[in-house]
Amino acid sequence: MILPIRTLIPLLLPMLLSIDPVLARDIGPEDYERSRWHPIHFKPDIDNASNEQCLSCHQEILDRKVLNHSPAGITSTEVLAWYQTLSTYEGEQETFHRRHLVTPMATELMDLKCNTCHQGNDLREEAANPPDHNNQDLTLRKSVNPDICLMCHGAIAYELMGLPAPWTESRKNFQNNCLLCHSYIRTERHQVNYLKADAIEAAGKANSDVCYGCHGGRQWYRIAYPYPRHPWKSMSSITPGWARDRPTESEPRFQKEIQQAAN
Amino acid sequence: MTSKQDKARIKAAVKRRKRESYTPVVPDKQLGFVHNNVDCIGCRACEIACKDKNGLAAGPRFRRVQYIEGGTYPDVYAYKVNMSCNHCESPACLPTCPTGAIFKRKADGIVDIDSTLCIGCRRCEAACPFGAPQFDPGDNIVKKCNMCVDEIEAGRKPYCVMACMMRVLDIGSIDEIWRGSLETVAVGPADKVSKQVKNMANIELTKPSIGFVAHSKGKVK
Repeated sequence: MILPIRTLIPLLLPMLLSIDPVLARDIGPEDYERSRWHPIHFKPDIDNASNEQCLSCHQEILDRKVLNHSPAGITSTEVLAWYQTLSTYEGEQETFHRRHLVTPMATELMDLKCNTCHQGNDLREEAANPPDHNNQDLTLRKSVNPDICLMCHGAIAYELMGLPAPWTESRKNFQNNCLLCHSYIRTERHQVNYLKADAIEAAGKANSDVCYGCHGGRQWYRIAYPYPRHPWKSMSSITPGWARDRPTESEPRFQKEIQQAAN
Repeated sequence: MTSKQDKARIKAAVKRRKRESYTPVVPDKQLGFVHNNVDCIGCRACEIACKDKNGLAAGPRFRRVQYIEGGTYPDVYAYKVNMSCNHCESPACLPTCPTGAIFKRKADGIVDIDSTLCIGCRRCEAACPFGAPQFDPGDNIVKKCNMCVDEIEAGRKPYCVMACMMRVLDIGSIDEIWRGSLETVAVGPADKVSKQVKNMANIELTKPSIGFVAHSKGKVK
């Protein structure tokens, strides 16, 4: 049977890549257009790209530091954002890439890889053809689908948890301790390949601000992420109304058995 | 330069500091853009007028006209989605900023940035679901659209709107735009204004203040 070449390409390319990963030296820095359109920047190859491959061209994202002084003379060591008044925040101001990949908290709790977030759209003008609203991998004007950011930067769903008010107001009533309830409710958590579940549990036990840091403290968006409901030990057999459409497993890309989005 | 002693003092001050949480600004009135995706010819005059006014070199674009084209004959389509900053109801860029450079104006809801306070950490750029904050590699800081506040205060419209030869781009009170009651030639008498078009990030993330006359292929059901 002769398979059409189009069917074979996605099968063969990852195989070739695993034998000989593409690095910057193979393309050459002078050939910008060739590297821009290289298959590694697109699906399916990007799912198997290693950090080493990405950084061989894009090393500057880790090297870049913030300015010591803003043009008007604001010193970067003297400023804090709202979320940085949480007790978990430490260190000097850093760029967001470094905060996600190399700073102490990032290496302690997270295992993010370049392709955990980046799914290959660097053109920023590209939309799915024909336009498809269910495929948000190509988000207009963005190189990353903001739904991926939402996994950590969404609002805390305090209404669903049955809290009387947002955590900032009700934390006192719960001794500022998430594990007061969460040592027996929804205990199967963070089982994804881009997070270090055990380290997160330990850090959350020591200081609940670590939990809140992601689940509301660093909230950029007004909605909460519908986390998959992995069944836990004492889970009720009745599914509440809000959870009926929730997945019970993470997206395949983030599952632990498939080490695609993590090292 | 900060001395070692200063650093210790700052750290102690940070520890003492009360936890603060961000409370969004509720503006008296919210201004927003409206764009006709169908009639826009993609000449990019708005982009150039914007770059001219803001003195931007090649690279950063406060406004971007996006071409969405495709199909197979005879079912072909071409339309444009044109976005700058959407001056969101709940901007994602604002709470990320460590220096307070980004703020939302109480009077008209415009989300402005004082780039002279920016230290170039680029968090706002990452957080914005619509790609509005633009990094200027020349100055190493982030800049963005402020709806030409100087023009608005002088009773005029922003440069992009004034440059639009097809008159498909306009500004106004966002409630009027969504209701369809704004007097503007950007929206035709039979046109419906929608809040979202296909492949634009989820509007529930930040509630952007923008209206579109969507193309039939770009309509979200």
